This record gives sequence, structure tokens and C-alpha cells, in this order.
Amino acid sequence: MKAVSRIVASLSHVPGVIAAMVVGASDGLIIETSAMLSGVEAGDTRKHTAALAAYLYSRITRASDAARLGTPAFMRLEAEHGHICVVGARDVVLVTIVTPNANLGRVRLDMMTAARED
Amino acid sequence: MTTPTVAEAWVAAPLTRLMEDARLISGVLLYPTGRAVGQFGFSNAADVMSICALTSAINASSRELGRQLDGKPFYELHHAGAERQVFMARATAGGQEFLFVGVFDGESSLGVVEIYFGEFQKSLEKLRPEKQVATPVPAGDFEGELNRSLDALFGPIGKP
Repeated sequence: MKAVSRIVASLSHVPGVIAAMVVGASDGLIIETSAMLSGVEAGDTRKHTAALAAYLYSRITRASDAARLGTPAFMRLEAEHGHICVVGARDVVLVTIVTPNANLGRVRLDMMTAARED
Repeated sequence: MTTPTVAEAWVAAPLTRLMEDARLISGVLLYPTGRAVGQFGFSNAADVMSICALTSAINASSRELGRQLDGKPFYELHHAGAERQVFMARATAGGQEFLFVGVFDGESSLGVVEIYFGEFQKSLEKLRPEKQVATPVPAGDFEGELNRSLDALFGPIGKP
């Protein structure tokens, strides 16, 4: 995977991405994060989102395994004011917080490409 | 899932919430002196006694280590074992310091435990009674203090 800082910088420039993070898959701790493009309390928001998104992704992985579907490729959580997107990449997960009107196809493609690249 | 047993009723609700939200297997809330305030996941007073004594000692040594290395005490300690992990941290409420030690496994994560421990700290600060009922205890009576708190959690040993 590319250097984590480059991945975060690249994802954070995708239109509609409010924040991009590389998070430890097993501990849910932030490895690298972009600045939060909004006025909310960035530190707590990112830390909480990272931990819970990584946790949720690990549960989704179990559900996917149980259904014999293999490893999940992409997870998108749609909420009232936007989306949380997660892609697994070995020991880390890529997490983005995205606006409701973002180009989700582009976000998905860029996240999956970043996760695949060495 | 077990229900916490507490020596001080006001910690029951935040301790229950922490246990459930962070998916902790077991945990003990104590004063830095080693006196237990509440616990969950243990059925044996001797286990809690050992944990209180060890946590109190680890806190004292890690605090001093932090001072030596960084000029200030460490606030949090995490040990990841092969299957289970230990999280230890300090919380303050109304100027009173508490220690918490919790055990979790793959059903949770350090990030999740940290989040809910943060909320637990805020609850302690909010719920702590203005006036604590102070029990006169001789200074430095570590063993006596520990035994009294264990009696409060599990009942007097040998007197069912």
C-alpha cells in the first residue's frame, strides 16, 4: 500500500470527502488523518468515527464470512447527513466521511484503488 | 453479561454502561490506594483483591516512570495479549482520582474502549455526589482498606 500520508492526502481531495483516515483494523486507532472539512469538533469526531467504523467493519467481515461471501470489498453507511465509507486493506482500514451529495462512485473507486496499490 | 457489584451506588450506572458499550469482559474501578469501588466479571473476592493491589502498584510505578521519562505521569496503559487485552486508565471526579482496569478481547478494540472510557469519565464527573461519606481510615492502612472494600462488594469472607 502507498505511504499512508499520500493515501490520506489523495482521498481527502476527492470532491465530497469531509475527512479521510487510515485506521488500525484491530485496534481502531487513527494512523493518519486529514483535516476535517467542517466546523465540528474534529478531534473527537474523527477518533470516534475511526474506532467505531473499524469495529463495524470487523463485524461486517464476520457477517460476510458467516454468509460465505468472503471478505467485504466496500462498506458504505448512509446516514441523514452523509456517508461513512470503509475499505479494508490488510492490517488497516481506510475510512472516509462523505457529504450526502458526493460522487460516491468516485469515492469508492479511489478508496479501493488506494487499498490495492502497493 | 454480568452486573457490576459496587461499594458506592453512584458508580453502578456508569460502570454498567461502560461494561456494555465497550464490551468488556471484566473490570474494576478503584481508588489509587487500592480500595475497590466497583467491579464486574469477577465472582471471587481474592481475584479482585489481587487486581486492586497490582493496579495500585502499576499505577504508582507507571506514574513515576512517566515523570522520569516525560516529566509528567502516564494516564493510560494498554497491554495486548494473544487473546485478551488489558486497559488501565485514570479518571477524576470532583478532584478525586480513580483507577480503572478492564479486560477485553476481539469482541471489542482499544479504540472502542477508549471512546467509552471517555464517556465513563464524563459520567463520573457529572454523577459524583457533592459530599462523600468519609469513613475514617488510618493513613497507610492498605490491607484494611482493601478488605473493607471487598467486604462491601462480596460480603464479609466466611460470613455468608
